[in-house]
Formats: sequence, structure tokens, C-alpha cells
Amino acid sequence: MKKNIFVFFLALFAILFTGCQSNDADFAPSDDPTVVVSTKEIYGAPSRKFEIKAALADDLGLKSVAIQIPELSLDKLITFPTNTLLTKYDLSYFFEVPANRGTSEAFKIKLVITDVSGNVVNEEINLRLDGEFAAPSITMVSPKEGAVILLSTSNKLPVNFVVNDDSGIDFVQIQCAALGIDETIQLTGSPQSYTFNKTYTLPVTAADYVLTITAKDKFAIPNTGSLNVNIVATNEYPAIFLCDQPKGTNLTTDAVGVPMYFHEKNGQDFEFKYYADKDNKEVYFLGQEADFGPHCFGLNGTGELVDDVASAPIILPTKGYYKIKVNPNTLKYTAEKYTPSSKVWADVANGLWHDDAALRKPFVSVCGGGIKDANWDTWNAWVMTGLHLANNSANPYQLVGEYTLTGTMEATFTGQWWDPSWRLIKNGICTMSPGENGNAKYPAAPGVYKVVLDTELERVFITKK
Amino acid sequence: MKFKYIGFFIALMCTAVSFGQIKVTGTVKDKGAVPIPGVNLIVKGTATTASTDFDGNFVVNVPNQDAQIEFSFVGFANKTITVGGQTTLNVVLEESSQTLDEIVVVGYAAVKKSDVTSSISSVKGKELQTMTVGNVTESLQGKVSGVQVTGVGGPGAQPRVLIRGISTVNLSTDPLYVVDGIPMGTSINFLSNNEIESMEVLKDASASAIYGSRASNGVILITTKKGKSGKTRFNFDTSSGMQIMNNPYRMADAETYATIMNTANNNSGYADYLPNPSQYRGKTTDWWKAGIRGGAPVVNASLGVTGGSDKHTFAISLNYYDAESIYEVGGWERITMRIANDFKFSDKFSAGITLNPRYEAYGGPGNWADFDKIDPITPIYKPADQLNGTENEYSIYARSPSYVWNPVAAVKRYDDYTDQYNLNTNGYLQYEPIKGLVIRSQASIEVGDKVRNRFRPDFVIDAAHEKEEINIVEKWNTTNVDWTWQNTITYARKFGEKHNASLMVGNTMEEYNGNDLWGYGEGVPNNTDSMRELKAATKNRNSSGNSWSSSLMSYISRFSYNYDGKYYFTGTFRRDGSSKFMTNNKWANFPSASVSWRILNEDFMESTKDVLSDLRFRAGWGKVGNQGLPTAVYQSNIGQGFYPIGDVIGDTSFPSSMANKDIKWETVEDISFGLDFGLWKNRVSGSLEYYQKKTHDMLFLKQFPTYSGFPNYSTIWTNVGSMQSSGIDLLVSYKDKKGDFSYGVDVTFTTVNVEMLSLSSADEKLYGAGNRTLTVKGEEPGYFYGYVADGLFQNQTELNSHTDEHGTKLQPYAQVGDVRFKDVNGDGKLDDKDRTKIGTPWADYNIGLNFNFGYKNFDLVANFYSSIGNDIVNQNISDLYNGASLTNKVSDLQQLAWHGEGTSNSIPRLSKDDNNENFTKFSSLYVEDGSFVRMKNLQVGYSFYNKFGLDKLRISLSGQNLWTWTNYSGVDPEVGAGDPDKGDRVKGSGFGGWNYPVQPTILMGLNVAF
Repeated sequence: MKKNIFVFFLALFAILFTGCQSNDADFAPSDDPTVVVSTKEIYGAPSRKFEIKAALADDLGLKSVAIQIPELSLDKLITFPTNTLLTKYDLSYFFEVPANRGTSEAFKIKLVITDVSGNVVNEEINLRLDGEFAAPSITMVSPKEGAVILLSTSNKLPVNFVVNDDSGIDFVQIQCAALGIDETIQLTGSPQSYTFNKTYTLPVTAADYVLTITAKDKFAIPNTGSLNVNIVATNEYPAIFLCDQPKGTNLTTDAVGVPMYFHEKNGQDFEFKYYADKDNKEVYFLGQEADFGPHCFGLNGTGELVDDVASAPIILPTKGYYKIKVNPNTLKYTAEKYTPSSKVWADVANGLWHDDAALRKPFVSVCGGGIKDANWDTWNAWVMTGLHLANNSANPYQLVGEYTLTGTMEATFTGQWWDPSWRLIKNGICTMSPGENGNAKYPAAPGVYKVVLDTELERVFITKK
Repeated sequence: MKFKYIGFFIALMCTAVSFGQIKVTGTVKDKGAVPIPGVNLIVKGTATTASTDFDGNFVVNVPNQDAQIEFSFVGFANKTITVGGQTTLNVVLEESSQTLDEIVVVGYAAVKKSDVTSSISSVKGKELQTMTVGNVTESLQGKVSGVQVTGVGGPGAQPRVLIRGISTVNLSTDPLYVVDGIPMGTSINFLSNNEIESMEVLKDASASAIYGSRASNGVILITTKKGKSGKTRFNFDTSSGMQIMNNPYRMADAETYATIMNTANNNSGYADYLPNPSQYRGKTTDWWKAGIRGGAPVVNASLGVTGGSDKHTFAISLNYYDAESIYEVGGWERITMRIANDFKFSDKFSAGITLNPRYEAYGGPGNWADFDKIDPITPIYKPADQLNGTENEYSIYARSPSYVWNPVAAVKRYDDYTDQYNLNTNGYLQYEPIKGLVIRSQASIEVGDKVRNRFRPDFVIDAAHEKEEINIVEKWNTTNVDWTWQNTITYARKFGEKHNASLMVGNTMEEYNGNDLWGYGEGVPNNTDSMRELKAATKNRNSSGNSWSSSLMSYISRFSYNYDGKYYFTGTFRRDGSSKFMTNNKWANFPSASVSWRILNEDFMESTKDVLSDLRFRAGWGKVGNQGLPTAVYQSNIGQGFYPIGDVIGDTSFPSSMANKDIKWETVEDISFGLDFGLWKNRVSGSLEYYQKKTHDMLFLKQFPTYSGFPNYSTIWTNVGSMQSSGIDLLVSYKDKKGDFSYGVDVTFTTVNVEMLSLSSADEKLYGAGNRTLTVKGEEPGYFYGYVADGLFQNQTELNSHTDEHGTKLQPYAQVGDVRFKDVNGDGKLDDKDRTKIGTPWADYNIGLNFNFGYKNFDLVANFYSSIGNDIVNQNISDLYNGASLTNKVSDLQQLAWHGEGTSNSIPRLSKDDNNENFTKFSSLYVEDGSFVRMKNLQVGYSFYNKFGLDKLRISLSGQNLWTWTNYSGVDPEVGAGDPDKGDRVKGSGFGGWNYPVQPTILMGLNVAF
């Protein structure tokens, strides 16, 4: 009897045990999985991603791979389907090193590979945080991006730039296919700084050129940096800009509007409309947008217009709107004050919605991208009162505000239901509806900007605060 | 001579017998002390019988003191009394819901309960009157199996009633209410529970098909009280008490609010929002106390008089109900009167007329949530230094930076009330030329007038955010005139000994007409009460009006047959013609058939009768319809709107809806099987039923495809798709009496399974409730559809591992303490494809438990109702736990929210930005178990009989909705339908928020009969 009971329970437990086994037992025994890492040592750096690469394989099927760096709080498990067995897997896993780690630290990356038969293989990779990943920096002295070479003055192109890199510079390369330039300067001794200075001669025919400068460093995993500089060689100026900033000002920190693009052009006769916000306002005319050189038009000692970076500013005597005409070839200019006659968009602040258009309180806000709290919904433009522009008490034609830009910006300044609206197109032109189509995109560094929409000029000025 | 002796002897014996008899007199009454005429008396063991007169009095001779008299009457349990030494008996008969001879209303007829072959549940008016409710359907909760009632709080609110689940997605789910034979639409708010004699719920199509195109959601037949011949009786019922409104949340005080807000700001890298929180200590504004009354009075009173002779009976009742709101203004008041007269001109000719004038007044603010949501730092009134003395009385209130409008000010400004007047006249003529043939004509006219007045005073609390620059006066007037006329001929006859048959044929006509007028004006000179008239408006006067009409014409018939009380058959047929449909589908047929087998009456069951009191099997089939779509959907309509064309904003017209001339009814085909049983003299009884309903040709409002050339918001009603509901209804009753102690319990159990069988295309997805629910083929409609919140990131390692196989973060903006959303499809991305089913608004089952106890003159009633297995979206979670908004939070949020590993796995860290979209992504974070058990009613009463010069005096104390057991953390687990205006009636079910809760209520009751 006891034997029968024993056999019964033995059978029962055998059935239960069999029924409770995991699926692992469903797979036949197999060889250990294999792992081939692409490198046994990975360079990383704080706040930077590194890649773990390895080729995993198993003769029957892979089940999972765990990636562990306990010190960096990484414990990632990647599991593979077991209904269709995977015998090969190329691991490519990126992980960002926390910002608070030191560059002298080093860690072990542990890979744990398990196959469907239950075989486990471990692999370790060294992780060093003293990696150098910055490409050599290239600083152009001349020409600046968008530089205009006035061939009637000179057909020489002086090229001057400085390259810097912490781990040392391997070589520097200057290329311009249109000009037949292809020079490589192989440096010895891995200097951390190198200055290039050479003048090229341009053909006398007008053309656009792209100068490409490339530099490579000497780090174990080399980094390469390059820079394209667009140059316009012309017999006449394609555009003239009005700059009301003092010399030495970085003209690339604004999002849009500085210096100001011309309003009208007829041959080399350029006409600006400009608002001087104070008496004795100092302005220059520039032949390029990004810099005061090479063409900066100001006054010489006798009060004549000259193309000279060292020239003195033109003085607009009193506060107000001006029509300014300038010809860079004849070096003549005029500045006449005028009284605007366009509609005054006064009382725009704190608008209120009303279904009946006649009862709506006007407001001007913004729709667009790259502006915090803004999107392309005019309802949003209304409810986000922080985007509403206010009157400039000193100038009824100007609406002012302050926006936080988050990156490349595009904008249409709008009232209710796009009525009225000013679309920001290229060159800082803010055309009032119906105006021109096509919103232009303006790269901008994230930050807080001062916004001035001048409805008389149909221009917007968005400058870093 | 011999015969003389015999004659003498017989005379002597008769005299002797006569001399030995005892004359017994008395009265038979029901438990309400109402005399019952026509009660049968049998002296057991003799051939002596008698019956009570109009006043319930009787006289009967019994042979001796051991004689037993049995009293019996339809609808009451038999009672046997041994005479003993008594010569006067005052007998009280107790009603019996299980009596098979009881009369049940079935639609255009009334039949014995034993002859019913379909699924009909009957509830006595007295059972409904144990609760004091505005809408009588609320007291139906848990009393009928197969009926799900979801309570709604607030004066005048209408509970959601579902009979055997849902059979439609886009149309109304409310049953059809038929009062005294007249269809009265989908609401009975106008009816006092004191007016109701009985309610019959027609649950399956074989029962409701006689109501054809409006019966797909079931039909509830209501019979109001009628006069009884006999002495004039007066009855006065009243109950009054308080509806209690407790704050469902413990909100933060000023200092705690400041601390919570600062934490949220700091966690997002910002400076304190309210530096130095301790400065707010003791400066909390108690908004709740300032605007919400802890108790709102409720009164229900009814005065009735009944009586009459054998030629004329009457019943008059005057009913009053008043539920005040939880605010200082608003509420719901209802005064109704019912005057019913029935005349019997001869044995063949009878008639009746009922007048039912009604008055309702209602209105009230709905902003109670704002009293919790507004920040506790803002004072109620502006500080004195911010007042310049020119403000009007509505402008002296403070503005909250939380973007919640000052709720005290909003209540003060509130002026939006409706007065409604109705008169219903319902009359019939009945002629019975030969026995069994009844010709009946019944007509009803309902006239209604509803006047809504709204005034919005001008005020400036904040010039930018909270103001009404000009006052506005509006008035709506809606008038309706509806009439119904129905004619039936019924012939019932018994053939031979065992064949019983009846045939009814008839027709009905109904017409519903309405019109409205709206007036608008601005700039009333001032805000005083007397100036709140359209005529006083000085600016922007405007007006509008409309009228509408719909009609229904029907032919109806019913054939019933039973053989020897064993085998029953009922067939009905209705043909409906509706003005809502065009020629192609104007008419539709709604047939039904049902059979019943009274197994207990079979010879082979004879031996079981000691145990079994009833055993019956039923099966039914039928087709019913739903025509509850707007009138005139067969018309094409032109809409108007603003449309940008290039840079010009144009005022345009566009085709907004297109005619579908082939539109037709939703059709529900229903099969049902049931088993009725009674055991041990019906001490235990009940029924078990299974049903399956399939809806075909479902009505959907569809948008046109873009290639059609119509704007994408042009719509057309169309018949596509099908769905199915199935489930089990179970009712088990037990009752018994031990000496002076009587007790009983009813258990109702209801299950509903709903599934979409097809939509307009196989892979169609119907979203609802702002894309938060989904309806697809093979699933229940309107299930909650969103992301799966897989707990919170407890540490950096968990956060770092939440990546795809290449290390790309699935939630790049997440931080420790944020919600981890599940990559459901495992594609290494977190996008809308990871949304899945995260809950269901539909309960697995509902249970009702109804207890009643009696001991001598004490009685006690307890009703419980539960819903098990449904989920609720608790929308308040965002308001109460989300640091991104400036509204007030629950007081212990600082501790509840995640603030370190292991501190919470459900409430995310406080954050001002919520970059991880913890609260803006609709996820299972919001979904909670919505199961609950609620004590609906607990009532204890004591009755005095024949005291103080009264037939009956009963006093009672009751509590309604006193206890609720639930895991749901929101305001109230009774959450009903979604917004029908957005097509979300079904697809938006189960969304809880700041819904007005079903309130606990304490009541004292008094009932006097004389």
C-alpha cells in the first residue's frame, strides 16, 4: 500500500514538475554563444554618447544580451524572439556618459550573452572617459562667410584662418574646385595651433565660389573638421546693408535684422527706409552682412563717403524715419527725414477674443516655430499672452516684445485670424498680408531675444538680449 | 303524513345547524390600511363562501370556533385565520409579487402573470416609494435584473438606464417610457414616485416589439394609480431631509499649496513660485465653505384621495418635490397633479380621463469643482486698496492667478433658470358588445411650454482675464404639442375545456410638434432684477427661431394562445411608418414570437408539487428598432463658416450634411431564454434568463471621403455595422415569516457582454472622447485606448534601460520619478501605435440586494447595488496631482507624489513642465477600478393602525447612499454616459471627473391614511 502511495505521488510530482518547467527546456543543448567585440577599448567623454559594437552568434539561437555598467547606472537587457530563432545579431548600442563623471575615470562594460539553451557567455570592454572627440576648430579671419569681392577694386582673395586642436593637428586642406585650389599642409610635430595665410588671385569675371577648409587631428580615433565659406566675386554689390551698431560688434549674434537689408535697388542705387530711435544716430553701409569688412562705407575726414573699414559713421541728426539712398560705386548718399503715412497699429496689447469681429480687441502675437510657446495656431497666439507684442510708446509704428528662441526660427506676426499679419520672409523682411509667400527660416542660438516689429519699415529686428 | 315528519325533521336540523353557527364580521385591508373590496372568503371544509364589499367589509357564518377562514385576492398572499372566540376580524393581506394570477401590463393589454411568455419584470410602486428621489428610475436601481441604472447627482439630473446592455453606439440608449399606455419619450423626470402604481420593464424583443421602432433599448411601462370603488380614502405622504455634500478631496491649505508649487518649480529648474511658504500660514481661503452648503434640503410630499362607486372611481393626487442645490441659489422644484376618473356607464360601455398638469422650475450653477480647484491663497474679495468705489456688486471679487474664475463670484452672477409647464390629457372609451370582445380607443394630448431666462451681468474682476464688458440678456421659449391616438380591438375566448386564445389588432398615430424662439440683447442699463428683460437691451439685439415635427403611424397586433395552462404562445406584429425616413424605408415591420411551457402543470410533475410551486420555461424572438436620430436627416444642409482662401478670410457656405434617402432604422434582433421557478410555496422564487441581441444597420454619422469633393467636415447619416449584446439575468427571492417576524431578500444579478460585429470596413477605427476610446470590430465599443503607464522610473538604471536595442531613449525627456510608458508593439519607438486597450467602461456584472424585515409594526428596508469589473477614467488626476497647472492640489501631494526611490509607483514627481507628458498623454495612469458596492437605501419605519382616528400612521427614518465601498479615488463611482452632442454617448462612457456626485441623504418620512 505504501508503495502504491509512493508511486502515485512520484508520478504526480513528475507530471507537475514537467508541466512547470520553463520553455528553456524545450530547446536542445547547443554550443555556447560567441561574441566578437569591435574593440576592447572604447573612448568616451562626459555628456557624450559612445557605441558598443559586437557581433553575437549562436548555433541554435540567441536569447538575450545584457549590457551592464553598474557605476553608470546602465543595465540594459535586449531580448530576442524565440518563436523565430536568431542566430546572429550585430549589437550596436549607444550610451551617453553622465555629465558629472570625470575624464580620468574608466569602467568595465560587461556583456552577458545568453542563448536559448541557457548557455551564458560574458565579455568585458574597457571604457575610458579621456577621449577627445572635438574636431579641430577653424576660425576664419578672412574672407568671412558671404564676403563680397568687388572685382573693380581688386581681384585678390586673401585667405587667412587659424586651426586649433587639443590633441594636435595632423593636416590642413584648402580646396576650391572653381579656382583650382587643392592644397594639403601635412604638419609635423602635431602642433595644437596652426595659422594659414595666403592670397589667391581671382578671375575678373563675376562668379560665386565656395572655399572648403578641412583639418584633421592626431587623436587615436581621428576627428576631422571642415568649413565652407561662400564668396561672391562681383563687379557690383548684390546687396548693401545698413548697420547701426558700433564697429567691432559681432553681427552674427542676432536672429534677424542686423544689419538691415536694403528696401529698394536700382542698379547700384540702394534705398533704405530707416528709423533712428534717437538723435545723432550713427550708421554705416556694409557690402556684406556678417562683418564690417571688407566693405564698410562711412565718412572720411572731409565728410565724403568712402569704402574703408576705418571710416567714421554717418550721423542722422534727429530721431525719426529716414529715406536713405546710397550708391557704393559713386560713393554718394542722401538721407531725408520723412513722416510715415502707413496705418498705425496702436493699442495692440491684451487683446480679447470675441465671436463678433466688430467686438474683438486687436492684438498682435506670433505664430511660428523655434519660438517658445508659439505654434501655427492663431488661437494659441491669442491665449499665449506672453507672445503678444506691446506698443512702443516712443514709436506708434513699432510693436515690441521679448521672445525665447529655441533654435531655427520662423514666424508670422499675427492678429486674430491672421488679420492683420506680417509674414517674416527672407532678409528680415516682414511683409504685411497679403504680401509675399514663404516663411524664411533663421538659425538662432537658444536664448532670450528682444523683438521689434516695425510696421512702417515692414522689417523685424530680433536681437539677443 | 310521512312526508310531514320528514319535512319537520329537515326543518329541525336546519334550525339546529343555524343555531350552531357563529356570525363573523370584519374588514380586510392591505398593509397600507386600504380596504380591499372583492376579497374571496372560503370557510375551509364547508361550501360557505363570501366576499368583501366596497369598503372591505364582510359577513360570514362559520360552524364553530375551530372553523378556518381563508382569504384570497389577486396580487395578495392567501391568509387563513382560525376563528376561535372572535366574532370580529380585522385582516391584513400582504401583497405577493409571485402570485401567478397577478395582472401584468404588457403593452396595449394586461394579462395574467402566468400567461406572460416573454421577459417582463414588474416592480410595485410601493417598492419605488421607499426612496425619495427626483427621478423614479433611480429607485429602480438593483431591483430588476437586467437593468443597469447609473445614478447622477444634482437636482433634476436623469440617471442612465440600460436594459440588457446597449444596442447602439450613436443613438440614445435610454428605454422608451410609456405612461398609462402613452409613449412619453426617454425621460420621466416629470413623474413623482407617489403617482406610480406599478412599473413593468419589457426586457426582450418578444415583449417590446409591440412598440416597434422605439423599443430597441427596452420599454418601461408605468401604470399610475387609479381610483378604487369604496369609501373615499385620503393618503398623505411626505419625506424631508438633507442631501449631504462633503468635499470629496482634502485640498491643500495656503502654505501647503505654496510648498507643492515651489517643489514643482524647483524640480523643473525654476525658482520658487511662492517664496517663503510659511508666510501663508493661517491665510487659507476656505472656498468650499464660502460657496458650498454642506446640506441641501430635499422635500417630497404627496396628498392623494381615491374612492368611487361601481359606476365611477377617481384618484386625485397633488405631488410636490423640491431639491435645493448645494449653492446658495438654484435647485429643482416640481409640482404635479394627477386627476384620474374612470366611468362605467353600463356593463358594455366604460370610459376614463386623466388630467396631469405639471410645473417644474430648475436651474443652478455647475461650478462646484472650481471651489476645489481655485488656489487657496487668493482671497474671495479684492483687498480694499484695490477698490475704487466705482465697481458694481459683481466686480468686487478677487482674481485668482490659477486661471480658475472666482467661483463665489460666478455663483453670485448666476441667473439661468427654466420654468416648464405641461398639461397631459389622456382619455379612453371602451365598448364590450359581447363577452370577450373589447373595442377600445385611447387618445392623449400633451401640451408643454418651457421658458428659459438667462442674464449675464457685466463685471470686471480682471481687465485681461475675467470680465464681461457688457451685460447680456437671453430668453428661450419652447412650445410643444404632441398627440397620440390608438385604437384596439381585442377578442379573447376559451374554446372547449383547454384552448384559450386572444387576438388584438389595432393602429396608433402619434405626432410631435415643437417650435422655439430665442431672443438676445446686450447693454441693459443696469443689472437690477427688474431690468433683466429683452426689451431693456440697448445693443446687438438678435433673435432666432425654429420649428420641427415628426410623426409615427403604426399597425399593431397580438395573438396569444395557451393549451390547458401548459403550453403558451404569443406572437406580435407591428408595422411602423415614420416621418424620419424617406419613401424607400418609411415603413418597417417588427415581428416577435414567444413560447412558454409551464412544466409544473404537467402530470408527471405532480409528485414535485410539495417542493415546486412554479416551473416554467420561456423562449422568445423578436425584432425591434431604434429611430432615435435627429429629424429630417434626409435633408441636405448648408453650413456657414469662415474659410481662409489664400490670405483672405472668407465668409463661406458649404455643404455640411448630405441627404441619405436610403436611411433606415437600426434593427435589433433578439433571442431570449428564461426559466422561472418557485420553491416551497414560493418562499424561494426567481428566474434565470439568457439573452442575445444583435443590432443591424447601425446608424453612424460619417464624414465624406476627401476624393468626393466635399469638405472633410461634411457628414451623412448612414446604416453600417452591427453589434451584439448578450448576458444573463438572474433574480432569486426568498421570503418567510416566523411569528411576528417576517423577512425577505431579493438578489438580482446581471451580466452584459457587448461586442462590435462589424463596422463600415473591417479595419475601421472609431475614436471617441477626444481619441481616448476606441471602437473596433471584435471588441466592446468605447473601450479606453491609450498608453500603458508601466509604473514610475524609480532610479537612473531603470531610466537608462528604457531604450530601444540601439540605446535610443524611448522617452528622451523623462527623469527619475516620471511615468514609464510601455513600448507595447516593441518597435523601439514610443508613438501612437503603442496605444492599446487600457480599460473598459462596461461592468462584468451588476448585483442588487434588497432586504426587507418586519416585526410587529416595525419595518426595515435595505437596498444595495453594486457594479463589478468596470473601469473609470479619473480625469481629476491631472487637476489634483499635476504640478504643471496652478490649480490647487490635494493636501498630501507632497508625500503622495514620487520623491525618492520606492516612495510611489503611481503618482509622478512634481514638475512644473511635465516634459515627459506624464499627464498630457492619456494612459492607464488615469484608469482605475470602478467597481463599487453602495447602500442605496436604509429605511426603518413604525406603523400605527387605527390609532389617533387614522387608519394608518407611519413614521420612518431613512438614509440614501450612506455608504459606498470602492477603490475608485474620484468623486463618485457612478459615472454615466459621455456627451451625446459629440457622438460620445456610448463612446465616451466611463469618464469620471468633477461629476456632480450622488449625494448621501438623510430623510424623515410620514405617511397618514384615513
